[in-house]
Amino acid sequence: MTRKDYLITQKQKGRHIFGVFPAQYPRELLWAMNVVPAEIWDPPEEITAANAHLQPYICSVVKSGLELVLRGKCDFLDGFLFPHTCDSIQNMASMIYDYIKADKPCYFFYHPKNPYGKAARDYYIEELKNLMHSLERQLGPLKPNALKQRIRQGHKVSSLFGEVYDLMAKGELDVGNEESYRQIRRGEYLFPDDLIPELEGFLARNKGKGRKNLMPVILSGVLPNPPEILTLLDTLGVRVAHDDLLIGSRRLLVPPSNLKDPLEQLAESYFGMPPCSTRGASITKRREYLFRLIDATEAKGVIFNVVKFCEPEWFDVPNLIQEIKKKGLPTLVLDTEVNQGLSGQMKTRVEAFVEMIT
Amino acid sequence: MSAVQKARYNFMKDLGAPVLMWLRQMQRKRRPYKPNPYLGPPLKCSGRLKEIMMRHYYLSRFSKGAKPVAWVTSGAPVELLRAFDFYTVYPENHGALCGAQKAGPEICSEAEKKGYHPDLCSYARIDLGHAFSGKTPAGRLPRPDLLFCCDNICQTVLYWYKELAHYWDIPLIIFDTPYNYRDIREKDIEYMTRQFEEMIPQLERISGKKYSHDRFKKIIGIARESASMWGNVLTTMKHRPAPMTIFDAFVHLAPIVSLRGLPVALDYYRLLLNELEERIEKGIGAVKNERKRLMWDNIAVWFNLRDWSLLFAERGMNFVAATYTNAWAETIHYLDDRSPFESMARAYSLVVLNNNLNSRLELMDQMIRDYRVDGLVMLALRSCKPYSVGQYDLRRLLGERLGIKSVVIESDMTDFRAYSEEQTRTRLEAFFEALES
Repeated sequence: MTRKDYLITQKQKGRHIFGVFPAQYPRELLWAMNVVPAEIWDPPEEITAANAHLQPYICSVVKSGLELVLRGKCDFLDGFLFPHTCDSIQNMASMIYDYIKADKPCYFFYHPKNPYGKAARDYYIEELKNLMHSLERQLGPLKPNALKQRIRQGHKVSSLFGEVYDLMAKGELDVGNEESYRQIRRGEYLFPDDLIPELEGFLARNKGKGRKNLMPVILSGVLPNPPEILTLLDTLGVRVAHDDLLIGSRRLLVPPSNLKDPLEQLAESYFGMPPCSTRGASITKRREYLFRLIDATEAKGVIFNVVKFCEPEWFDVPNLIQEIKKKGLPTLVLDTEVNQGLSGQMKTRVEAFVEMIT
Repeated sequence: MSAVQKARYNFMKDLGAPVLMWLRQMQRKRRPYKPNPYLGPPLKCSGRLKEIMMRHYYLSRFSKGAKPVAWVTSGAPVELLRAFDFYTVYPENHGALCGAQKAGPEICSEAEKKGYHPDLCSYARIDLGHAFSGKTPAGRLPRPDLLFCCDNICQTVLYWYKELAHYWDIPLIIFDTPYNYRDIREKDIEYMTRQFEEMIPQLERISGKKYSHDRFKKIIGIARESASMWGNVLTTMKHRPAPMTIFDAFVHLAPIVSLRGLPVALDYYRLLLNELEERIEKGIGAVKNERKRLMWDNIAVWFNLRDWSLLFAERGMNFVAATYTNAWAETIHYLDDRSPFESMARAYSLVVLNNNLNSRLELMDQMIRDYRVDGLVMLALRSCKPYSVGQYDLRRLLGERLGIKSVVIESDMTDFRAYSEEQTRTRLEAFFEALES
C-alpha cells in the first residue's frame, strides 16, 4: 500500500491526518489525539510552483514541502504541524500560515535550543501543554490514559528501531541498505498500532548473519535521499551499519524512566535524544555520538550525505570530518538535492570512496 | 585580569587612543571636500563616528586581560553584559567592515579552505576565516573569553557561535528567543526572563564581577534612550527632502549595534540628531533633487554602498526607510528599568526577524505610508534566510495593497563573488522605468 493510500485508509477509519514538517515533534501527543502525523521531508514533486515563493538557494526539503502544499496535494489533510527546525522552515511555516493562508488548522511547535537549563525544560513542557490544548480545541478532549498509552508505544517503536539499528550494526539484518531504510522511513507516517507489528515482523523475518562480511560505513546528514545512493552502496558491497541521520537515529528516544507525569516523560525523551545540529548540540557531543557509532559498528568510513543549503548540517561538517580523520577514518561528503537522482559524478565519487576503504 | 594589562588598557584609553584620534583629524583636514552634483553635503558627524568606531576597534586590541571580552551577536541583549563590564566585539559589525573594505571574499576563503561551504552566511565565514587566519582590516580583534549569542535574528548565529566555541574551547551563552508565529505569550516572556536569571552566575564567574541590579538598571536606561534617539534620527527621513539617506543610516548604525548601553552612543546620536534637524531647518537634502522616495529591505550590500548611493541619487531617488536600520529602534521602547528582565525579553524577541511574516507585512505597510515611499528595493541575500524567505510574497502583497513598485535583486552583503553587476543593473533599469511611468 502506498503512503497516500495508507493515509486515506486511516482517514476512513476516523483518524485525523496531519502534515508534519521536519523535524522534532511530540508524535505521541498527536497519536493520543487520534492524529496520524504524516511527515513531509522529500515528497517526489518536481519543483515549479515553489520557485515563485522561494529563492534558488533554499534547500530542496523546504521547496518540495511547499510544492506539495501549493499543488493542492495536502487537501485531504486535517491540519499542519510546523516544528521550529531552522530559519527556512520557520519562515516557510509563517508563509503558509500568513501569506498562502492554508485552509486548514496550522500548529507551531517551538523547542528550546541547546544548551538546556531548567528554564528550557519547563518551557518545553509548557509548549507540550499548549499544543495539547490547541489540538483539543479542534479535535475534542484528550481521552484519559491515551497519552500514557501512546508514550508506551512511542518507546516500543524506538526500541524496535533500536533493534533494527543493532542488527544493522552487527551485520545481522538480512536485507540491503535500500530496503532497510524503506522500512525505517515507514515510521514517518505509520500509526503505531500498525508500525509496531510491522517492525516486529520485519525483525523476525530478516534477522540473520548474511551481511556480516560487507564493508560497514556510517551515514550522516539529514535523510538518505537520493535513495539511489543506498542502492549503489548495496551494489558495491557496502553495508550502512548505522546512521547519524536526522530522520534516523537522531530521533531515537531514550528508554523510559519512572516519571509519572506523561508530559515530563515526553520532555525527558526530547532532552535525552542523541545530539542534533537542529537543536544546537555542541560539536563535542556530536563527535562523541559519531565515535560511539563508529566504535560499535567497526565502521570503515563515514559518508556525509548533506542536503544542499542545509545550514545546521553544513556548519558542523568541517569539524566532524576533521575529528573523524584524526581517528584515521576516511570520509566522503555529498552535497545533494532531494529527488535529483544520482549524478554520474556522485556515483564516481561514491565508487572511489568505496575503493579507498576496501 | 592582569594589573599590567589593565594599566596598558587604561594608558591606551587615556593617551594612545586620543593621540590616534588627533592624528586622524589632522589627516582629514588635509583632504579638501569635493561637492557631488547629486548628493547634498556630507554629514559633519561622520568624522566623529569614524573616531568613535576607530577608537572602539583600537582599544579592543588592548582589552584582552584588562577586561573580560565577549563576542556578541548584533541582536543580543548586551545590556546584561555591560553590567559585568565586558568589552564587547560584534562579529557582524566586523563582517560589515570587512565587506566595506572589499575584503569579504579573501577572508571568507580562509573558512572555505577549512571546509566551510561557500553557501553559508558570509558574516559567519568572515568571522571564522578571521579566527583561523587573523586576517582583518581592523588590525586585530581580541580573542574572546565568552561568546554571547541570541537567536532572535537567525538560527545561523547559533551554528556559527557553536563553531567558535569549539575552536577556542570557550564558554558560549545562548539567549533563546522563541519565534513569534503569532503573538508573544506570557510563557515566552517567562522562559526568556528565567534564562537571564540562569546567566547571571555564569557571567559572574567568567567576568569575576558581582552582579549589580542598580548598575544594570542604569544601563537599561541608557540603552533605551540611545535606541529612542536612533529612532528619532531615522524619523527625520520622513521629512521631504530627507536630510540623510538610508546609505548614511547603514553607516551611522554602528554605535547602536556595537556600543548600545554606553553613554558614547547616546551622546553621538544627540549630535547626529541636532545636525539632521539643522539640515531640515535649512532645507538641505541628502539627495539634491529628491524626486522619488524608496524603501530598502534587508542588510546593506557593504561592498557597494557608495556606488549604489550614487546610482540612485543621480536619478533623484533617495532611500528614506529600511526595515534593517529600523530594527534597532522598533522595539526598544519596551525596555523599562522597573522590570528590566521582562522588558528586555519583550524588546529583544519582538524584533522584525523574530516575528511572523504577517507582522513584517504590516510593519512595511506602515513604514511605506509614514515615509511616503514610492518604490521598494528588496535585496534577497543568500547569506540571510530569515530575511529573504518570504520576500517574493511580501513584494506581491505590498504591490496588491498599496500599488507600490518594487524590485528584488540578488546579492550577498559582503561576498561579491555572489553578485552580478550586469544582472542587477538590468533589473534596476526596469525598476527605474516602472517607477517613472
